[in-house]
Amino acid sequence: MPKMVIDVLKNLFSKVSTLKYPYEKKEPPERFRGEPVVDEDACVSCGLCKQVCPAWAITYDEDAIPIFDHGSCLHCGECEENCPPNAIEINNDYETAALNREDLITD
Amino acid sequence: MNAALEFFVSYLLFPGIIFSFIFGQLFEGIDRKIAAHMQSRIGPPILQPFYDIGKLFTKEDITPEKSQSFFFNGAPLIAFGAVITAMIMIPVTGVIEPLGGSLSLIVVLYLLNIPAIALIIGGYASSSPFGVLGSNRYIIQLIGYELIFIITAITAAVHAGSYNLASGFGNWFIFRAPLAAAAMLLAVPGKLLKTPFDIPEAETEIVMGPLTEYSGPKLALFKLTHNIELLAIAGLFTALFLGGPVSVTIGAVTIPGVVTFLIQALVVAILITLIRCVTARLRIHQALKFYWGPIGFVAFLSLILAVMVW
Amino acid sequence: MTFKVPVGPQHPALHEPEHFKVELEGEEIVDVDLRLGYMHRGIEKGLQDRNYHRGIYLAERVCGICSVAHSLSFALAAEDIADMQVPERADYIRTIVAELERLHSHILWAGVAGEEVGFQTLFMTMWRDREKVMDLLEMVTGNRVNYSINRVGGVREDIEDKHAEKILKNLESLEEDLKRYVEIFPSDSTVLARMKDKGILPKKKAQELSASGPVMRGSDIKRDVRADDPYAAYGEIPFDVPVETGEDVLAKAVVRLRECLESIEIIRYALDAMPEGSLMSDEVQGMPIGVNKGLPVGEVTGRVEAARGDLMYHMKSEGEEEDGPSRVKIRTPTLANIPAVFEMLEGESMAEVPIVLASIDQCFSCTERIAIVDKETHEKEIKNMQELREMER
Repeated sequence: MPKMVIDVLKNLFSKVSTLKYPYEKKEPPERFRGEPVVDEDACVSCGLCKQVCPAWAITYDEDAIPIFDHGSCLHCGECEENCPPNAIEINNDYETAALNREDLITD
Repeated sequence: MNAALEFFVSYLLFPGIIFSFIFGQLFEGIDRKIAAHMQSRIGPPILQPFYDIGKLFTKEDITPEKSQSFFFNGAPLIAFGAVITAMIMIPVTGVIEPLGGSLSLIVVLYLLNIPAIALIIGGYASSSPFGVLGSNRYIIQLIGYELIFIITAITAAVHAGSYNLASGFGNWFIFRAPLAAAAMLLAVPGKLLKTPFDIPEAETEIVMGPLTEYSGPKLALFKLTHNIELLAIAGLFTALFLGGPVSVTIGAVTIPGVVTFLIQALVVAILITLIRCVTARLRIHQALKFYWGPIGFVAFLSLILAVMVW
Repeated sequence: MTFKVPVGPQHPALHEPEHFKVELEGEEIVDVDLRLGYMHRGIEKGLQDRNYHRGIYLAERVCGICSVAHSLSFALAAEDIADMQVPERADYIRTIVAELERLHSHILWAGVAGEEVGFQTLFMTMWRDREKVMDLLEMVTGNRVNYSINRVGGVREDIEDKHAEKILKNLESLEEDLKRYVEIFPSDSTVLARMKDKGILPKKKAQELSASGPVMRGSDIKRDVRADDPYAAYGEIPFDVPVETGEDVLAKAVVRLRECLESIEIIRYALDAMPEGSLMSDEVQGMPIGVNKGLPVGEVTGRVEAARGDLMYHMKSEGEEEDGPSRVKIRTPTLANIPAVFEMLEGESMAEVPIVLASIDQCFSCTERIAIVDKETHEKEIKNMQELREMER
């Protein structure tokens, strides 16, 4: 008699392990790295975020405030870590799909 | 005239195409759902096989250029026709018997073999290396399980006293011949190509075996045949060992024969699902050794006991 | 009368594209020919174009399953060139994350092995239990794959007490599950029928063909980079190197399951003995290495025991003016194990191809960076198996 029969019958009569996403969503842990967002008043346009981004995903707009290309972003967190005035914050957002590539570049 | 009309009605409606279609697919859906829950996941909805077959029928019908198109195209039609004919000979209700007769067991055993042979021919005709490999394995497996299947079916017939499938009504031969019933239960996964005997269709080794080159409506027919076979073989087991479709009266409620038939067939199908979930796939020579070794011995023993003792 | 069956590039048994041309006579394998090159992405060239800071992110993405082994090897090589001292707490954190990765990789492999032999239930239940490890990794590092926790000079995130508590709790529940699987695997008769005495790699052949990792440890060779050449905190943590003598697929499976249990012990010891201290080396002040500063001249090989075997990063630096390496060469364990596959497949039948291939835990996305371009004629040559063997020796 295979030993798995006990496990299988136990599974049959207990709750499933599947999370019924998108009706039930899981809260990501606190260190989770979602999308970077910049606070425009705090930014001093030092250029360090551009220098450390591994994917070259940060560029400046005409006011010298960073624009993020979320399509290239690696979600590594280097921009947040190396920003001197702590103007960049990485939020917990993980549902960031878009229909066009251009929509992924935030203003 | 009347008999011909009755035949056509039973072939198309009950227990022919419509009945087998609905309940065969439902059984397959229930099998997948229960297997999923055994693996602690949700699984597809129970009506999923309907969606699958419906989707496949809307696809383009392609025949590969290098294949033998006569056999390649004819195989699914023959398989489907055979299994429906088998369904109208298996006693599904205690009242109507569309195609009975004193030798119905022998005819049903032959008819249930035809889908396997059609699949083998289709696999060879598809001229793809996976198809050839799959058909090779299927022939070897056919030799394995068919022997056990026939011996255990004959054991039940000996207990019933005749080859007429309707003669075993009300007699639960499973208690008189438990060895034969157990052997047949182990031959059924071989016949239905379910783990541990899904060797000809081993997905991780030879893509899909004989079914590799099939697509669209032809694949739909083969899958439909496969699902109805589940109902047919579970029904055959019910008719042989579990007393067939007898209507039961509990208190004031009369449960018609069809319902008891379906419930018994469902229990057999769930047992097959349980076996499917707890084993790995065997290799072809191990499967043949298993069938002709211990199981063959048990089946023969049961036959000898039936003939001599009972 | 032989006929050829193509296993790949697209096949339900393979997880990455590779093309094995198997020549069969009946069901018995007569010859196997291999053609690689489908996963070539130009990573070594990419590493030459990037500085050390960006390079470690690219190195990490060579493989999704063994990603921290790659970034650790890169960081070790770079730190060795500069002779940098990494603080002890960083070493312990690196060890813990590396062992968590080994756990998740081996459980993933065990599930995949179950699926290859047709045992779908084992696959589903083992991957459900693997989620416990993935939750831990997400909690500690912030991501489930490609953790980006290593940097040249140290680590980026700390393991606090509340994390340590959750780690210990999950590991306890995982240990119970693993013990149940160690009980089922070698005793279930259908699994045994598929895995016992198949894919035999004799000890002498394993040494000759330079197999590595659990493939070699399943053939009674007791070697492990963590024990022979310790890096990170392995020099201070006592642990066993599991070895089996069966030489078949079952032996390799049992080696991996026992390594999982060892990893749990290592993590417990490391959490208990973790010293206080900083996370980055003192020599890295301000910006990470590579953004402004380079490394001195040097040529070094960093060696790490990934889940699949030993992984080597050979790095060459031309001096402090260059902010990136001038050449990085990556030698992955799967490349070393491929000749062993041909040895193991000799005489087996078609049904064995998926499970024997899976027994080396193949990760072809790690393996392929070997297209050679002739500069004069711009002709590209994909090396075939014979030439690969010559290159390896």
